[in-house]
Amino acid sequence: MIPIRPVAITGVDCLCAAGLNLSDCMDSLFSGRRNCSSPCLFSSTHPRPYPVFEIRDAIAGTNINDLINDRVNAREHNILRTSRLALAAARQALENAGLDRDNLKGKRVGVCMGTTVGSAMNNEAFYSHYREGNHPDMMPIKQFLNSNPAACISNDFQLSGPCQTVVNACSSGTDAIGVGASWIQSGLCDVVITGGADELCRVTYNGFISLMIVDSSPCRPFDVNRAGLNLGEGAAVLILESEKSKRARNKKARAYVCGYGTACDAYHLTAPKPDGDGLRRALADALAISGRTASDIAFVNAHGTGTPDNDRVESGVLHDMLPDVPFHSTKGYTGHTLGASGAIEAAFTVVCLEAEKTPANIGFTDPDPELPSSPQQHMESIKGDFAISESLAFGGNNSVLVIGKGALRT
Amino acid sequence: MRIAIQGIGVTGGFGNGVAGLKDALITGECMPDTVPVNADNGSIGISGGMPGEMPVFTADTAGLKSFVSPRLLRRVDHYSRMALYGSFLALKDAGDPELDRKRLGIVIATGYGAMRTTFLFLDSVMETGEDQHASPIRFSNSVHNAAAAHISILLNARGPALTVSQFEMSFPSALVTACQWLAEKRVDAVLVGGVDEYCDVLGYCRQRFFGNSRCPAIEPFEFDKQTAIAGEGAAFFLLSLDTVNGSGYGYIEDVRMGNIAREAVPDNACLFTGADGHKKCGNAYKQYLDKTMPVASYAPVYGSFPTATALDMAVAGISMKTGRMFASPETSNSDSNLNIIKTEQSRSDRKIGCLKISDRGEYSLIVLGKD
Repeated sequence: MIPIRPVAITGVDCLCAAGLNLSDCMDSLFSGRRNCSSPCLFSSTHPRPYPVFEIRDAIAGTNINDLINDRVNAREHNILRTSRLALAAARQALENAGLDRDNLKGKRVGVCMGTTVGSAMNNEAFYSHYREGNHPDMMPIKQFLNSNPAACISNDFQLSGPCQTVVNACSSGTDAIGVGASWIQSGLCDVVITGGADELCRVTYNGFISLMIVDSSPCRPFDVNRAGLNLGEGAAVLILESEKSKRARNKKARAYVCGYGTACDAYHLTAPKPDGDGLRRALADALAISGRTASDIAFVNAHGTGTPDNDRVESGVLHDMLPDVPFHSTKGYTGHTLGASGAIEAAFTVVCLEAEKTPANIGFTDPDPELPSSPQQHMESIKGDFAISESLAFGGNNSVLVIGKGALRT
Repeated sequence: MRIAIQGIGVTGGFGNGVAGLKDALITGECMPDTVPVNADNGSIGISGGMPGEMPVFTADTAGLKSFVSPRLLRRVDHYSRMALYGSFLALKDAGDPELDRKRLGIVIATGYGAMRTTFLFLDSVMETGEDQHASPIRFSNSVHNAAAAHISILLNARGPALTVSQFEMSFPSALVTACQWLAEKRVDAVLVGGVDEYCDVLGYCRQRFFGNSRCPAIEPFEFDKQTAIAGEGAAFFLLSLDTVNGSGYGYIEDVRMGNIAREAVPDNACLFTGADGHKKCGNAYKQYLDKTMPVASYAPVYGSFPTATALDMAVAGISMKTGRMFASPETSNSDSNLNIIKTEQSRSDRKIGCLKISDRGEYSLIVLGKD
């Protein structure tokens, strides 16, 4: 593996149930607030509703549809919620990077976004009419065909660089950032708009419940009483930029992507390998590529879904490979946002490095004696220039980012 | 640093394996199957065949059992079986090389994913109207990266695994990442491929969108006519960095993506176009192709589906290996303003570009060279 030069992150933003922008999200995280309730976006016949982390009006006294709609034009009202979330996050992140449409002209700008729901043709109303022998309205299919998240962003900014939508289940957001960083490193792009987006969807809600990995209470990552995940929704976008482009506009990096490792368990469709083999190799690769060791890492934003299997594997691997490094899960503030989660957590990691503190692992109160390591229970100050954000996924994917502080000397 | 194609594995309406595809290219003959469509909805617009039926180029994966025990395939759906079959055939075609499985990557492109299983999952809820009856097996197989998961498990491939989905641009996008991984030495070899399946709902949607065109075959260069016939299949490639052994199938010299413009279309290569009978895309090809370059389209032997670009690249690889360019099928009435390859001919030293243009104005160009 070739060690890489760090790739600058010059802009970042996100929206999810924790807040409609990164600053509000971090306020929620650092004050221990979470917005979790029964789903409002859809109904369900489950005897008892399972809580979700939905982007709701109540979060900021704002109508989320208005907020998203403010940032999309009339044509884009015909795209799916996932891509509208992606567009909103992209526009916010570009603003944070100090880039606008004019700045992007003449640059080689790529888009790489992760998703799961945003790539699935599974509209229930359409299919229900179809299977009853009717002729359903084709609008849901047209919307699906117009809603590829990466393509929507690329079209919106009239970009002509590489464009990729990663559908690697729950590691999609992390993988998209890793792929985007490689486009900068190889000289393929000057700027890459990268991240992830996913909406809450009844089909996915039923699917995860059928797997019996959803908690009927707010999730409790790494806790002895953990009983599964809660689904969430949101989007996060990071603006990656080449040194040349960054210097040309005298822009400072907020952070750096220093390493990306990814490896597959080759074990099971939905369960992680018990010995964490794939995660170990992904971690080792990410550290090797970044030229860092365990002692350089200030903290880990763990995948920490709250499922018994996921947390057991992560706890074991972190104990063995990063024994003295504090870790926490932020799923208790956002829910599991699937294809967006890796990007949202990378965004949180950037701010935690800047703020030199990490949030409490909300939902964790009682350590599990079977887990060799436990997350931090309270907000903590941290010292150090590097942190890790990791994602595990269906299909046995394990993906890890090493993120460096903005003041990093390159 | 060149990327070498070490092996090709294909399945589709033409048959299976490089030999099956080559036979279809030589004869130029490949008839679609006739599949039933939902009679209640399907009678409003039939693209060929009798009412209640439509032509589709379907793939048969029965031969996968020669690689994998049927017991292990019990819960593997058609979408993943096509991808598995393509992968095993590509490895076999490459001579089953000894590979460090921790450094074998997988990159899969799909336009629509596991559609049949997606709708079967919805059935599991809709049949009873009870959300509690959702099927966990169907749900876990409905995710787009299920095929990559099955391949990694059955091949014990423990390197990186990535699935991308971007309609017609899915395969070139996947190829960009496969080449990057090799260049970064993240992997020693990559299995990269495209896969898409046909399903009844897709057939219904095609009828609703494209109406009742009763064309018996795809006429790719009749740009003003809607002649597309649905297809399905998979094409996989074992790629590595250039080795001393060289590659019979040639090298991937460039993969470009962006918005179509005249300068994006090379005039010094032979172009295997992704023109597949869709009128809306045909207009773009009409605008950017001219007599300066030899052109062909092989969609008439495998049909129209989002990741058919992977099959275009398979044909280009076969042309590199044999030194022959196959006659472009179904071109008797085609536009005389183009330099269409109407008879089999020598490739001489030409590079081959696989050009795909989407109806949204996106394009991709995969350039293969030999020496």
